Amino acid sequence: MKFPETLGQDPVVEAYKKHIDRTLIRENLKLTVEERFRNAMSLMRFADEMRRAGREARVKRKQ
Amino acid sequence: MTDFGALLTTLSRNKVEFMVIGGAAALAHGSARLTQDLDILYERSPENLARLVAAFKDTKPYLRGAPPGLPFLWDQATLARGINFTLKTSLGDIDLLGEMTGGGTYQDLKAGAITLTVFQTQCLCLSLQQLIRAKRATGRPKDLEALAELEAILEEDHLP
Repeated sequence: MKFPETLGQDPVVEAYKKHIDRTLIRENLKLTVEERFRNAMSLMRFADEMRRAGREARVKRKQ
Repeated sequence: MTDFGALLTTLSRNKVEFMVIGGAAALAHGSARLTQDLDILYERSPENLARLVAAFKDTKPYLRGAPPGLPFLWDQATLARGINFTLKTSLGDIDLLGEMTGGGTYQDLKAGAITLTVFQTQCLCLSLQQLIRAKRATGRPKDLEALAELEAILEEDHLP
């Protein structure tokens, strides 16, 4: 793809780009914007639940 | 947890002039990076400040991370005195920016923004190219990975 002339390429950013998982981007681009927001909220709920479970497990281990 | 739908609906219902920026804008464009809050750029006229106050008056807005008990009043005078506010509300975390580094104000960016139709409402959002320019302008090392992802999205032929 031709990069927009207004932005140009930055070699540092290009180096970082090699490590980007494009499969995730492609999957996200198949979704509607609302689906992307809903997925993010679902991930936030999952992250909250994992943090809660982790805290609970650490407390149990100390007992 | 931040309820993006409720925050955007509240802003739109109160006719606040704003646009989505930051991580939530990146999310709208297809980013796989998780964001915990909604960042918006808002218009600074007295009328719009009044609409912003009305939008969040029932959501217990308070300065995020600040100690409890501060005499923080959610009113037009408070908004007029400051520019950027990081808030915790009952709908979730929201950052209100009157100006953004490398971008400018709502008026500066409005013409180039895109319109999102989401959660049965419509709102403005930074275009992908505006978002990339803003990230580049901040020049923060921690933003390089996010910037690389945004440019990869652009390369994946995302429109606009």
